[in-house]
Amino acid sequence: MSSSTRASARRTVTEIEGLPDPPVGGSGAAVEVRNVSRRFGPVEALRGVDLDVAPGELVLVTGRSGSGKSTLLNLVGGLDEPDSGAVLIDRRPIWQQANVSVARRDLVGFVFQQHLLLDELTARANVEVPLIGAGVPRSERRTRALELLAEVGLSDRVEHLPSTLSGGERQRVAVARALANRPRLLLADEPTGALDSVTSARLIELLVSLRDSHGTTMIIVSYDPAVRERADRIVTLVDGCIGSARARG
Amino acid sequence: MLALIASNLRHRWGRTALTALGVAVGVTTVVALLAVTAGLSRSAGDLAKLGRADFGVFQAGVSDLTASSLPSSAAARIASVPGVSATSPVQIVPHAIAADPAVLVFGAPLQGALVKRLVLVAGALPRTGEMLVGDRVAQRLHATVGRRLVVAGHRFRVAGIYHSGVSLEDGGVVLPLAVTQRLSGRPDAVSMVAVLVAPGYRDATVERAVERAVPGTAALGDPGEVARVDTNSAVIAKAAVIIAVLAVLLGAVVVVNTMAMAVIERRQQFGLLAVVGWSRSRIARLILGEAVTVSAGGAIAGLGLGIVASDLVVRALAAGTFVSPEITPWVLARGLLVGLALGVIGAMFSFWRVMRIPPLKAISP
Repeated sequence: MSSSTRASARRTVTEIEGLPDPPVGGSGAAVEVRNVSRRFGPVEALRGVDLDVAPGELVLVTGRSGSGKSTLLNLVGGLDEPDSGAVLIDRRPIWQQANVSVARRDLVGFVFQQHLLLDELTARANVEVPLIGAGVPRSERRTRALELLAEVGLSDRVEHLPSTLSGGERQRVAVARALANRPRLLLADEPTGALDSVTSARLIELLVSLRDSHGTTMIIVSYDPAVRERADRIVTLVDGCIGSARARG
Repeated sequence: MLALIASNLRHRWGRTALTALGVAVGVTTVVALLAVTAGLSRSAGDLAKLGRADFGVFQAGVSDLTASSLPSSAAARIASVPGVSATSPVQIVPHAIAADPAVLVFGAPLQGALVKRLVLVAGALPRTGEMLVGDRVAQRLHATVGRRLVVAGHRFRVAGIYHSGVSLEDGGVVLPLAVTQRLSGRPDAVSMVAVLVAPGYRDATVERAVERAVPGTAALGDPGEVARVDTNSAVIAKAAVIIAVLAVLLGAVVVVNTMAMAVIERRQQFGLLAVVGWSRSRIARLILGEAVTVSAGGAIAGLGLGIVASDLVVRALAAGTFVSPEITPWVLARGLLVGLALGVIGAMFSFWRVMRIPPLKAISP
């Protein structure tokens, strides 16, 4: 990112300062993407994207390969920094947090196409990893991990290593891990991409039920028709811009 | 965190073992060489304290104090210096005992100050054709009173076994000065003169007076000073330091490379930790925790191996009597510090390498 575009991004962010403190609690986070652009060398991955996601909303982001879906998700999750524009979660610019990793830890949960579980740790220990990062005491970590694994239907698999779990089970462990720190925003990048249709449908049902029970805001990048059926809104990206956004049904 | 550290080390046992081995090699070498050089310094210092003397007078400018040569008459001239209460000429004959060439033979007048200060633990003072044996040698060569030992091709009966409290002296044998002068073919030469200082005089003052009275001599009382004057010891000590530094550098290369490779192989894990909100300091603590655990294990193994190796080095050099390794808490502490330092350096380098990879890139397959 050039210094001028970074300065521009900071200016945009500064203009929004002075807002009241964001809500704290179990409800989902509000996401605002304001005129965000991101370039990778000669490729403009995102061009002036604007997007608002309401608390508790489940938004499907779709589009052709290379349209900027994953880039958008990474910017919203604070894994990448925009060249210009701003991403606000609960009205706070995520890249202006003193420590982006803390913001990620406290606000956001990630689910990737590859489950990215740590092979040498059991399902329970994998779910505990974000809690270790948050400094949660051992006994509380264990309790919370067991609760989450029960919630995703893996009570009988808690001490299994990832290598002994099926693809769907691993992805459910990844979902439990993403929810470990009780995030108000869940970002999933093609979570069913490596699963068969039956397992995909189950995972989507799980995510929807979790959204219903926790009120977690969810942005899911996917081509899966099962997600399309359950999303509150479908946003289509075309060549780095919002092509269309429509409510389901 | 501790469980994660234990799990990571256990599941990558090959890397863990290799890293610990690198640390152990460095620590072993450091401990062994420090112990041997400390022992060497002590032995050199013991030379000045033969017969529990206050200082010893040697030929100036010799590289090896055991090769010092003074005329027999020097003892009388030194005895006349104000502040000197007693003297004892001593001839040191190395490599004279076939059973153990490392044992030094001390020739001294049987009525002199050196022999008078020996405490006999068995037997009696020697007569013609007899010798005294230090208790360390007696134990080493199983020499009891009445047994015979061969010195420079001549058999001598063990008349008594002594203890002086000076390690070097207890690791040698004592023959009458006239006998060693005949055996060595230097009838009018002694190696050094042991000097006792009269009450009320300062050692340093008397040392300087002796050097002025007998030009070409060096009066040495401080063990550190002896180690500096005895250039052979100094060269060996410096060589040992260089070898130790090279060994530590070698260990550092092994440790840093192995740790860095292990961390780079695990970049996806560290990327994931960053994605789920682990701070840089917490990731650093994880890497440091693993490094310190491994290096502590390697260092402890290295300390044990170093103690064994120091003894093996002395035996390999057939210098067991002249030098006994000095395993002091400070030697062990330095070994431990080197081990832990290797781990910390390895961890810092690994952390620097892994933190240069953005989390998004790190988690990419």
